[in-house]
Amino acid sequence: MRLILLGLLFLNFPVMAQEAISAKAWLENMSQALREQEFKISLIQLQADHIRPLVYIHGKIADQEVAFLEHLNGPPKNAVRVGQTVTFIEHDQPAYSVAAKRIQGLFPPAFADDFSALESGYQFVLGGRTRLAGRPGQLVRIIPNDNYRYGYQVWLDMETSLPLRYDMLTQDKQLLEQILVVELLVLDEVPAILHEAYKQDWPAVVSQSERDAGDNWKFKWLPAGFEVLVKDSHRLMGSDESVEYIALSDGIANISVYVARAGDAQMPEELVTRNGLSLVTERVGNAEVVAVGKVPTETLARVAKSITIE
Amino acid sequence: MDKLGQEWVSAAVDGEIDEQMLAELAADKDSHEQWRDYHMIGDAMRGELPKTMHLDLSANIAAAIENEPTIIAPVKRETPKDVKVETKGLSNVIPMFKQFGQYAIAASVALVAVVGVQNYGQQESAIDASPLPVLNTRPLVGSVTPVSLQTGPVQQNQSFTNDQVMEQRQRINAYIQDHMLQQRLNNGVQIDDNSHSELDSIPVNH
Repeated sequence: MRLILLGLLFLNFPVMAQEAISAKAWLENMSQALREQEFKISLIQLQADHIRPLVYIHGKIADQEVAFLEHLNGPPKNAVRVGQTVTFIEHDQPAYSVAAKRIQGLFPPAFADDFSALESGYQFVLGGRTRLAGRPGQLVRIIPNDNYRYGYQVWLDMETSLPLRYDMLTQDKQLLEQILVVELLVLDEVPAILHEAYKQDWPAVVSQSERDAGDNWKFKWLPAGFEVLVKDSHRLMGSDESVEYIALSDGIANISVYVARAGDAQMPEELVTRNGLSLVTERVGNAEVVAVGKVPTETLARVAKSITIE
Repeated sequence: MDKLGQEWVSAAVDGEIDEQMLAELAADKDSHEQWRDYHMIGDAMRGELPKTMHLDLSANIAAAIENEPTIIAPVKRETPKDVKVETKGLSNVIPMFKQFGQYAIAASVALVAVVGVQNYGQQESAIDASPLPVLNTRPLVGSVTPVSLQTGPVQQNQSFTNDQVMEQRQRINAYIQDHMLQQRLNNGVQIDDNSHSELDSIPVNH
């Protein structure tokens, strides 16, 4: 009996190990494909009752990644990336550039990054195969290890490893956001628009040196994998309110924590949006701790409660 | 520009023109609009129309040509730096961080659709009885999204004045928009942590 059990162990382990590796290998292939390949994808992004058609074009010129994201409906709203600079060109403001690895607002930037960084918070599990955008796709689930964050699933093109569909899900599998590729074109050469983007003289990267260092905030507790990304003090968008700001990230999910003097109008204790963005306010004496992010409100509440100053 | 000029523009757009004529064309500001129109027509035919429409291409192209060594515009070559600065002003490009203090950027990154707010042990009837304040934000697509929200149990028994509701909306808006904008700004911070070499190479490339 023992021998049989031992034998089963030996039989099972390599199989399980192989599956674990291959799910991650799929994701690593996607990461590489997103960075290396020349392609054009037409896609729709679904968030609650918003449906946005987008086009994303990616290529490499002179060993630099060049990409272009365009919103097809509504007023012009585009983003251009050359190397590590992303320029946002939007109808209602002057174009501005930021230093960034990816164009934010499409697939999570982590999808083109090192997936090992996500392993403390998530597991990668292979799913079934299905047909998407007229191509066979392989499902890979990115499952959170705890209840403090949302899960993701991504279908990859079997041929190119590029993403064909992306879902962001709550713990009870409620869909928060979906990106659905309708057409994937693998390009033989860098399209003209990227050459034009590469040659353009884009505005210089906005200087963030004006950011104050901020106070020495610490967290007594953070979900596994979350780390402090940025600390500063700045004035809140659209108001003169000055806040202490701490950015947290686990690689995919981002949380912003603000500490400010409580205003006359009290903030709601909890606010949940249908695309998964939540806001939680914790009042401490005269101060207000506001946590915002695409994570469950329970996480935000616990994070907001655990902040201390040294 | 006369009819002949229009033909020039058309030929230039199709790339059937030599460099000298191109430079002459560039010097003639009146024909720039035609230039853009022809390009737009060409783009439309090739199905590439919206990608470049909003960019002020003529200003950029003019700058590029002026910076090129040509015999047509030697005077302008003497002050290439001024030309560049001028162009940046023309294309509405202001690279300073203070821009982020403006509401415009924040407004365009806002994207909010609230369904409901969790309530701690509140009964259904209590929720129905209290009026739901509505928060309006400008989403990415340009239409207006109603956002309903409810405050915690403490406030539900109080009656809000209009000013309080407005101020609360503004504050929620400000926090959410700031969060969205920070996602764009912090995206580059991760470079710092993960790969210093990549970050170091940025100034070299630009």
